[in-house]
Amino acid sequence: MEIVLALGIGVLAGSGVWLILRPRTFQVIIGLSLLAYAVNLFILAMGRLRTDAAPILLAKGAGIPAQFADPLPQALVLTAIVISFATTALFLVVIIAARGLTGTDHVDGREPEA
Amino acid sequence: MGVSPETLLIALVAIPFAGSFLAILFRANARNAEAYLAGVAALAAFVLVVIAYPQVTNGGVIRFKAAWVQEIGLGFYLRMDGFAWVFSALITGIGFLVVLYARYYMSPEDPVPRFFSFLLAFMGAMLGIVLSGNLVQLVFFWELTSLFSFLLIGYWHQTAQARDGARMALIVTSAGGLCLFAGVLVIGHIAGSYDLEAVFAAATKIRVHPLYIPALVLVVLGALTKSAQFPFHFWLPHAMAAPTPVSAYLHSATMVKAGVFLLVRLWPVLGGTNEWLWIVASTGLITFMLGAFIALFQQDLKGLLAYSTISHLGLITLLIGLDTPLGIIAAIFHIMNHATFKASLFMAAGIIDHETGTRDIRRLNGLWRFMPITTTLAMVAAAAMAGVPLLNGFISKEMFFAETIELHDNSLVDRGLPYIVTFASMFTVAYSLRFIRDVFFGVPSQPLPRTPGEPPFLMRFPAELLVLACLVVGIIPALTIGPLLQTALYAVLGDSIPNYSLAVWHGFTPELLMSVVAILGGVGLYSILRSYLLTADGPPLLRHIKGQRIFERVLVTISWRLARWLEAVLATRRLQPQLRLLVMAALIAGFAPFYLHGLVAFGPRQTAFDTGFGIVWAVGIAAALAAAYQAKFHRLAALILIGVAGLVTCISFVWLSAPDLALTQLVVETVTTVLLLLGLRWLPKRIRNFAAGDTGFGVIRWHRIRDLVIAVAAGMSLAALSYAVMTRSQPKNISGFFVENAYTQGGGTNIVNVILVDFRAFDTFGEIAVLGIVALTVYGLLRRFRPAAESAQVPEQQRGRAHGGEEDGEMQQGAGIKGALAVPAFMISMLFPVIGVVAIYLLLRGHDLPGGGFVAGVTMAVAFILQYMAHGTAWVESHLRVLPIRWMGMGLLLAVCVGGGAWLFDMPFLTSSFSYADIPWVGAMPLASAFLFDLGVFALVVGATVLMLIALAHQSVRGHRTLRSRTPNGEAT
Amino acid sequence: MNWAGNHLIVAPVVLPLLAAAVMLALGGERHRSINAVLNVVTALALIAISATLLCKADAAPGGIWNVYRLGDWPVPFAIVLVLDRLSALMLLLTSLLGTAAAVFSLARWHRAGVHFHPLLQFLLMGLNGAFLTGDLFNLFVFFEVLLAASYGLVLYGSGSVRVMTGMQYIAINLVASLLFLVGVSLIYGVTGTLNMADLAARIAALPAGDRALLEAGAGILAVAFLVKAGMWPLCFWLPGTYAAVPAPVGAIFAILTKVGVYVLLRLWLLLFGAGAGAPAHFGGELLFAGGMATIVFGAIGTLASQDMSRLAACSVLVSSGTVLAALGLAQTGVTGGALFYLISSTLGLGAFFLLIELIERGREPGADVLAVTREVYGEEDEPESEDEAGIAIPATIALLGLAFIGCAVVIAGLPPLSGFVAKFAMLSAALQPNTAVPVHSWVFLVILILSGLAALIAMTRAGIRVFWVSEREAPRVRLIEMAPVAVLLLLCVLQTVQAGPVMRFMQATAQSLHTPHDYMRGVLEFSSMRRPAGGT
Repeated sequence: MEIVLALGIGVLAGSGVWLILRPRTFQVIIGLSLLAYAVNLFILAMGRLRTDAAPILLAKGAGIPAQFADPLPQALVLTAIVISFATTALFLVVIIAARGLTGTDHVDGREPEA
Repeated sequence: MGVSPETLLIALVAIPFAGSFLAILFRANARNAEAYLAGVAALAAFVLVVIAYPQVTNGGVIRFKAAWVQEIGLGFYLRMDGFAWVFSALITGIGFLVVLYARYYMSPEDPVPRFFSFLLAFMGAMLGIVLSGNLVQLVFFWELTSLFSFLLIGYWHQTAQARDGARMALIVTSAGGLCLFAGVLVIGHIAGSYDLEAVFAAATKIRVHPLYIPALVLVVLGALTKSAQFPFHFWLPHAMAAPTPVSAYLHSATMVKAGVFLLVRLWPVLGGTNEWLWIVASTGLITFMLGAFIALFQQDLKGLLAYSTISHLGLITLLIGLDTPLGIIAAIFHIMNHATFKASLFMAAGIIDHETGTRDIRRLNGLWRFMPITTTLAMVAAAAMAGVPLLNGFISKEMFFAETIELHDNSLVDRGLPYIVTFASMFTVAYSLRFIRDVFFGVPSQPLPRTPGEPPFLMRFPAELLVLACLVVGIIPALTIGPLLQTALYAVLGDSIPNYSLAVWHGFTPELLMSVVAILGGVGLYSILRSYLLTADGPPLLRHIKGQRIFERVLVTISWRLARWLEAVLATRRLQPQLRLLVMAALIAGFAPFYLHGLVAFGPRQTAFDTGFGIVWAVGIAAALAAAYQAKFHRLAALILIGVAGLVTCISFVWLSAPDLALTQLVVETVTTVLLLLGLRWLPKRIRNFAAGDTGFGVIRWHRIRDLVIAVAAGMSLAALSYAVMTRSQPKNISGFFVENAYTQGGGTNIVNVILVDFRAFDTFGEIAVLGIVALTVYGLLRRFRPAAESAQVPEQQRGRAHGGEEDGEMQQGAGIKGALAVPAFMISMLFPVIGVVAIYLLLRGHDLPGGGFVAGVTMAVAFILQYMAHGTAWVESHLRVLPIRWMGMGLLLAVCVGGGAWLFDMPFLTSSFSYADIPWVGAMPLASAFLFDLGVFALVVGATVLMLIALAHQSVRGHRTLRSRTPNGEAT
Repeated sequence: MNWAGNHLIVAPVVLPLLAAAVMLALGGERHRSINAVLNVVTALALIAISATLLCKADAAPGGIWNVYRLGDWPVPFAIVLVLDRLSALMLLLTSLLGTAAAVFSLARWHRAGVHFHPLLQFLLMGLNGAFLTGDLFNLFVFFEVLLAASYGLVLYGSGSVRVMTGMQYIAINLVASLLFLVGVSLIYGVTGTLNMADLAARIAALPAGDRALLEAGAGILAVAFLVKAGMWPLCFWLPGTYAAVPAPVGAIFAILTKVGVYVLLRLWLLLFGAGAGAPAHFGGELLFAGGMATIVFGAIGTLASQDMSRLAACSVLVSSGTVLAALGLAQTGVTGGALFYLISSTLGLGAFFLLIELIERGREPGADVLAVTREVYGEEDEPESEDEAGIAIPATIALLGLAFIGCAVVIAGLPPLSGFVAKFAMLSAALQPNTAVPVHSWVFLVILILSGLAALIAMTRAGIRVFWVSEREAPRVRLIEMAPVAVLLLLCVLQTVQAGPVMRFMQATAQSLHTPHDYMRGVLEFSSMRRPAGGT
């Protein structure tokens, strides 16, 4: 499991980084979303991996930590997801506006003179 | 008088500044009022100085200390000893005369408030320098004088000379000031204090310290720049663009003397070494000669006086540099004398300028017919400058000669010194002679701009007074200046003053011979050069070396061209390189520790490998890579691919027992995709053009390889990090507490949700704020947005239906897909209540099972947006009225109120309380205050999401409007 | 502590949010005037609150006045707000600049776009939260709040320049935020806690095997903060962005870089300060070098700048670079001076950003560029007017000129204002008498003084160009625009006159920063739990 997840995180992050270094706004935004996935999984991984031990108390009472996956990283990921959702939306609108104002979708607002 | 010495000191410094403040408040044309104010202030200060005299005789010192920044050993410390007294007397006395003079010099249309205000402020700063008992404080006032001299030189700032001269003076002198600051810091570091007494006490310690040389050089740099010594002399002549009173006051009598003041002040500490002798003395000598030489060839009266000032300052510096008590005596004496005669000369020059309208020596001739009194004054003063007997200049000149005859280090220069200075003095005599002969005598060659006459008495009076002083001191020095000089010397040399005699006649001495030679030689030199001088523009040889030009060139090169070049090299304004740097910085930061501490060992695998998981991720990886590859040209494909990647993430959340995350990820995924689809429409088409490939192909390939390497490195290191952490045993962490108390104290079985709305509700608090802010920003941005022209027309898919033509095209556009696909539209509209219910359900159960305010909110928003898709903007907004911003506001308010409710029970913010109530059909329903909080979250999320989606949806409507009336995109401000 | 005293600490976060919420609940832009009033009133209230907090923190033993456990959960588990001298100081600074910006905007700027007032309040909320929180992830959240608000304000008023610089700003900060997350989660994965004080305690007892992982996390985190602080070479986004934003936004942005600096001050000295695990002050060299590079780069930028806005933006770099370098020296005295400098330069820059807009008003754009090229190529700029009679400057110009000189003097660190005292404080502390001075301190001395000279040259050039060369009628300036500038500058004057007490406070702050144990004990052993663990 760990190795698979690690590889997954790595590939997501790698392709994300590759994309944010590209010159077109759309590539950048796709890259950012990929990076966001990678980071979310990374945060989750920091709480170690547990299968079928969802942090939902079955018995109404004090839970035993050993029986459940670490809930805190999950909470952090939830916050992170929301925030990255918001910022992605914002960035999308910004690139649309930039395209509208400058007439190009290059990240610097002008085509490189090559 | 009843004033205590301390208060007297305070008043002395305070009065000019107070006067300056008052002066600025006057009306622009309040000429007399201004002059009275300034005059009274200056006179009052002078009187105070006079009163203070008894306390400073034979080594007496007046001190005033006040706490300022004790933590860093910096106090406000005023200190007046005999030496400071002499300077204070000069500053205030001449200051008063200059004010008097300026009253008549300035023309009625000049804005005098500025002038007098700055002048008084300068006076205060100058007094601050000489009265500082603390080196840092001295630097403080030092820089202030630079500032005010800048403002005064630039007084007539409509002329370019004034501006350039002012800037040059400021930059040179305050650069020197900064050197002085550094030097003072070094001295303080050695001596352990900045107070003068302490520094004097540490004199020997300083002289032997390894840092002595740096300290000396830095301090001397400060002094030399201020006193316009070679090679920094060039700023002074250009400072002559200032009104003449300013030149008389700042640039001959006082400010330029600050440098030599400092040298004398610190001579007991820094003097007495070969370095001192060589650095200071040689600079002085060069300046003395150079100034005298150049002065002779000036055609501008003030130019001549400026260079003669430089030369005389050089003479003083030389005397100080010679490093003997007698030298110091002569230096101090000459400082006084020079102040008197040079100030009066400047005033005379000002009068001439004022009366004739020109300062060009070649045009001025035979003025004695028109202004005999001024002529007399100028003649006496010039004679004093030349060192003619029975005038004060002569006596100090004689002391100077005597001092040069003495042997110091017996070097070649030292032995040749008397001849050198005698020769240079010939030039002094020559230009003094020229000043008189060419201006006041001879026949008028050409008519003057104005026919001159004697100025009003009060304009002459200051000069008369000063000239009188020259005479009196020159004839009976011992009786007049003697005691004052003695007082000053006491302060500098202590009681080890060597015996010197202030007398006009010492019998036939070598120095007398030198004087005679100098005078005769000067006369000879002048008569030889006379005809040449009238035609020459600038001195021979040096004519083409213009300090100002060099300075400007250097300044522009360093501070402008070089800077711009460096900025271009060191920085980039493009985005990609910056992101690259950022990623690389992170990589380095991540790697460095392992480089230092060695790699960490991976632990054993914690969970067994699962084929299904492997397959899922095989897909995910493929999707991610494909997305990375496709994103440039096939946007839709890329969108779908990252959708897949997101889905895989979702699945792994489920797999790794994080149902909440899975749920949230899913809804977020959906909405994000909708957003991107809406946005995609406004981006330009990209068709792969192979033509672009061949231009600079190599470079592009190289860039790609580099980026690829970076990307791979980033991916691998993140993977390695995560694997390293995942495979090591978990430290005892804080989340155990949450598991234990989620139900017993949080009242929920869904631990994650309890953490979000209770344990760490403050995070959620901020999170919803972020969502709200972003929604506002999106709205604000799209409100002004006009899409690019080519992507603004109706997309092909809808053209077919737009048979109505242009005018109802908009309505068509707003009509969404209803016309095209009626049945799905119907189904979607049916979905609205269903999804609504689902949302509520998710909200309610959130505390115990996966769900919660955020998920519910987004779901609700989806319901709204589906309506938009089904029926089009127009229909929806006419049928169900959503005010997203209100929703957001209400949501935030609710959250705040729930959080603040705890205050009523004096509990910290966001403290929750709960109980369970059994509600039919729904089941055990938690009535936790946390739930209300979640409700707030819900409301905000609905509002924010809907606001964003609508803002984007409206583009399609507005897009076509703009085609008709192409309004320019609204630039704010 | 009494009721108000108990909960006052959370007010700087809740109050702005409440204000913003009310503005939105009333329908956002519908009632701009109400929003305006709310905005100013809230900002003023924040000044009062933070001033009170400052006094309390200064009076408190150990410098920590209150540790506020949100949700009333026990300490390492709950998110805590910690009020010590440093955070109180930053709160006060923030509210001062916020008020200035709010008042200034009333003249015209708040009509240039939508939702200026709520955005400003959100920004204040984010800043205050970041300064108060004692929890690493909560810090991230508040960073996001203030970043989101700053995005909104960067894009405020739209226009192609702002959108493009804004896009750059946003893209870089998004990546930085992701790094922030990676760092925080990595640290959690290794140490198992998020509470800063708890973290410091655990780091000391960290198994050697995990050290590298921890430092990797810390390093990645540091990169995120250094982007905010604008350290070279992560600062190229800054000049463009800051030069493009509206004046009031620029004023409040003067403190935005200081957030990064603040976090470094706090975390670096807490986690890697003296006596925290193996290597004390790990990365200090790097910090110093980076700070130096930033100063140099900023100074070059000021010299190369063609217009005042860019000049101001580059001065921001110099300012934060100076603090970073001083921090890198890791001496208590220097840190104290640096804090003094931080306050003075931030106030000065805030005033300058506001002032620029007033000065530039009514000048044809591009005049600067022309003037510069003239200067460079030595062309004569206008026919010499031979009559040597000065021009009576209208009172407005005189005032603006005075204010400009004030800003220039503060920013360049020349007498007579606080900038000089601050520089002296840092340098004299770096050159402790009777001790061997490390070469760093000498470099610091030289660079600091040279940067001052550069600032002076650039400022003089700009000032002469604007006030002396161009003959123009006085711009129309309203009192509510001039007042904030004046007040900010007067604060600099006050800081100079009252330098004694202020410096004492700064030294005390630096002292407690350099002895993190007080902070740790203060937070971990803070026992005002009214609720025993169990039962609500």
